[in-house]
Amino acid sequence: MLLIPIPLLSQGTYIDENALQPAQVNTYWNWGDVHTADLHMYQLDGIVDRNLTSEQRAEFFRMEFSKLGLAASTQNYTFTTSKGTISGNNAYAVMSSPRAAGTEAMVISASWLSTAGHGALNVRGISTVLSLAAFLKDYSLWAKDIIFVISDDYLHGMHAWLNAYHGTIPSNLHTDPLEHISGVIWTALNIDYSGHSFSHLGVFHEGLNGRLPNQDLINSFRFISHYTGGLPMTVYDHLEPADLVDRWSEWSVLPSWTPAFIRRSPQLQQYEYRARNVVRHIGYQARGMCSGVHGLFHQFRIDAITIFAVPAKGPHGFHALGKIVESTLRTMNNLLERLHASFFFYILTSPGTFLKIGMFLPSAILVSVAMLFKGLGEWVDAGWVREVSEVSLKGTGSLEKEPKTKDTWRNRRRPMLSVLITMVATHVLGVLVFNLLCSRRFDENRSFFVPAILAAVSMIPPALLPLLPKNTPEVAPSSVLLKSSNLCLASTVISIMSLLNFSLAAMLALTMGVPLATSSRSSSMTTSLLRYAAYCILAWGWLVLLPEEVESAIWNWEVLGVWFAPFVCIVYAPLVMQAGIVCLQGSS
Amino acid sequence: MDEGTVLPVLVCFRLLLAVLPLPGQHILKHDHQINSPLTSYLRLKEGLWMLDNNVDPYMGGSFHHSPLLLSVFSTILPPIPIIWAVSDAVGAWALLRIWRARQGLSLHRATTSTAESLIVSAYILNPYLLFPSLALSTSTFENSFTLLTLMFASEGKPSSALLAIAFTINLSPYSILLLLPILMLLVTSPASQLASPRPFHGSINRIASLFGEFMLYWLVLVGAACIIADGSWSWMKASWGASLTLPDLTPNPGLWWYFFTEMFDHFRPFFLMVFSVHLVIYILPVCIKFQHDPLYAAFLLIGVLGTFKAYLTLADPGLFLSMISLFPEVHGYLRHPIVTTLLHLHAALLLPLQHILWVSEGRGNANFYYAASLVMGMAGGAGLVDACWAGMRIALGDVKVESEGKGQVARWEVARWEVAQE
Repeated sequence: MLLIPIPLLSQGTYIDENALQPAQVNTYWNWGDVHTADLHMYQLDGIVDRNLTSEQRAEFFRMEFSKLGLAASTQNYTFTTSKGTISGNNAYAVMSSPRAAGTEAMVISASWLSTAGHGALNVRGISTVLSLAAFLKDYSLWAKDIIFVISDDYLHGMHAWLNAYHGTIPSNLHTDPLEHISGVIWTALNIDYSGHSFSHLGVFHEGLNGRLPNQDLINSFRFISHYTGGLPMTVYDHLEPADLVDRWSEWSVLPSWTPAFIRRSPQLQQYEYRARNVVRHIGYQARGMCSGVHGLFHQFRIDAITIFAVPAKGPHGFHALGKIVESTLRTMNNLLERLHASFFFYILTSPGTFLKIGMFLPSAILVSVAMLFKGLGEWVDAGWVREVSEVSLKGTGSLEKEPKTKDTWRNRRRPMLSVLITMVATHVLGVLVFNLLCSRRFDENRSFFVPAILAAVSMIPPALLPLLPKNTPEVAPSSVLLKSSNLCLASTVISIMSLLNFSLAAMLALTMGVPLATSSRSSSMTTSLLRYAAYCILAWGWLVLLPEEVESAIWNWEVLGVWFAPFVCIVYAPLVMQAGIVCLQGSS
Repeated sequence: MDEGTVLPVLVCFRLLLAVLPLPGQHILKHDHQINSPLTSYLRLKEGLWMLDNNVDPYMGGSFHHSPLLLSVFSTILPPIPIIWAVSDAVGAWALLRIWRARQGLSLHRATTSTAESLIVSAYILNPYLLFPSLALSTSTFENSFTLLTLMFASEGKPSSALLAIAFTINLSPYSILLLLPILMLLVTSPASQLASPRPFHGSINRIASLFGEFMLYWLVLVGAACIIADGSWSWMKASWGASLTLPDLTPNPGLWWYFFTEMFDHFRPFFLMVFSVHLVIYILPVCIKFQHDPLYAAFLLIGVLGTFKAYLTLADPGLFLSMISLFPEVHGYLRHPIVTTLLHLHAALLLPLQHILWVSEGRGNANFYYAASLVMGMAGGAGLVDACWAGMRIALGDVKVESEGKGQVARWEVARWEVAQE
């Protein structure tokens, strides 16, 4: 896995869909439109100063869209979660295409809060959308409807809008059906411009539950940004080493006492830069989080990215951004069918290079296969027992009678029933804990419940262990059988997961690979208990150590439907607990 | 739990599942792993609707079920979930009777042993059989009829057995593979002869006369089907022909559809012939090799169907897996049961996953799903080869103690629950 960021493994990106024709058009966005955007920005600044409510804001956006003659409306929504309700208002407008029947659409969106975090407002992003609406409707090029969405807050606004648009309203969301509807949305751009001006445009692409958009979209955007806008694209907000010649040392993780020739080595800088991208990618994908508002689109088969204006002192502003967005829309407008030609499984190591699935998948699959073989080996071992009997061999020629040992291998039964009951019981325990975590009571008395759950899950297995049948010499010890089935199941989970969400599979391979394979019984009680405690911490320690993560994972599950939290509770933690039980069983 | 109550309890459980409004049943009915165009409930409904509206169901090319099912569901009963539950119960009961006949036990014993409750639960709780049945796929009826045939044949009731196989063949023409072992079973005994092979000792003349009887029943059923289908022969092409000419290339866990999607049209007839003949080829070798134990031969041929037939659904390998519990004497001789189990586990997880990636998320493509169906094929093949091996190996004598039998049954059954957990 450490090899993933090596530049040699990556290959250059290319555009696979011929219909896209990126950066082949003359753009019309001009300084007049920049002025419109500036005016919108002043109005928005006024709104921010006056501290308008979400409803008043949405109404203002709706008025702005209506003034342009677009079919505009607002949407009010309320999410119910275990921590209370969340509500807000979205504004949106549909521009029907002058050239087609409106069966297909693309979306330009901006959210009220920015990806940058710390409460940064996406004021300039919204002004861009408003002025683009005014600008785009003057042209008759569009073969697809264009939908402008200004969503409330950061994520949940757009989530409510998309669910209402597609008629998949979950039970905890209350909202009215949308007033204006267009066709099937194919692609979407989300604009995030929170700073004063920018030097690079960053692309965020991870979606919910590890989904990624088709790579053609990112590659076309990179072309357009380079050739039409004349400014470089970056992955996330990480600037390339070449852009940071003198400031690289501030970014580097290498401590300052390392020799200068190492710190300045271009290969190492490249490696570090790519590793930073990969780590960030895995951080988003493994937890099933999306890196921006665009990530909500992917679940509806809409390819979407966030264009993030990396805050800087200059030199670019509305002019470059408008041109690039216009040109990207023209490219998206060229599509004849859904994006399908290019890759859906990739790791973007730098703006121009990526890793194909064939290059990174083996890293997780190898671990999984190793675990599978270890499990099968344990299974075979469990079936045979070595009996050492002393036989005196009477050598014909030799005088001394040397007692020799004779090994016979005898096979024994491998009763699986108690093992399977143990495994099912741990998973049921996981389900119970998960339901508790999602309940309102947990949220109210967090300080009481966290240690209580931890104590319960670590105490229940040792308490119930004496109920299992005792080991007898004729049958294989249940700890070996449990270890074997545990390894086989974990290996299956990893290899299946690697297709759905590679980063999560890689994380599982890291956390479960070695610990599960080395779980073993020990002769001394203390060692066994210590080992068991270590497995307990590995399985459930996050409850205590990472309270914020727990909170955000549960919020993601309840509002956005990210299955990372249930997966950890119901699959990951029980598997590690089974390894812990293997240690305990040996000692009893 | 008392051993004797397992069958009633499980049957009640199954009936309860049929009555309760389960979430996700709608998804199951559309699932390609458990419904093929030949067995799908939705297509059955479509055919019934067309019949009600005086349209010939076999005209449009979307309806492939047998006219017998059409007549039953249009006149006697509406297709309600209870029927599927009852069919499952009948299947489990038949499996139990086959077991008793094979072990030479009294057919109406009041007490049951652990092995018997395992056999019943292996049928009713097998996810490969339970899910198709919950999805109201007609493969449930095919499986029950197959088991009924084997049951009558084991109990030495020639007429009932031949009538049942005639029904089975009418529902699914591939069951013709089972005809020869069933005729052989009728003239010999179902008791296990695997450990002591001997030449076939039944009377060949009797087989011929039984075959004549079968032809009679079969022709009567064909005639009945023609009358139901308004005196036309078009149903034959639409329902039986579909298995041979593969008109509908809807993906399924089998090995045919992808091959014929990719093929140039002018090779199609040739390869259709090759694929169909490939299935028939197995009949004679299996029946000659296992002439001493025709029930085992029938079991192996069911395994062949569960791996290689066109329009495979999970119910076909499911029947093979559930029938493994009938032969505890060979379990000790299986070489790689855990590998087969793991392959099935992987296949059962990969098939729906790749299907979702391809069809609903659009991130994958047909090759993804085909790869998963190859894993399924490997799992089926591994199980089949292993069963063949064990059936022949047992004759050479023992490496393992006889008393292991029961423990092995238990081990095998519970190993398969892993599949149930997914």
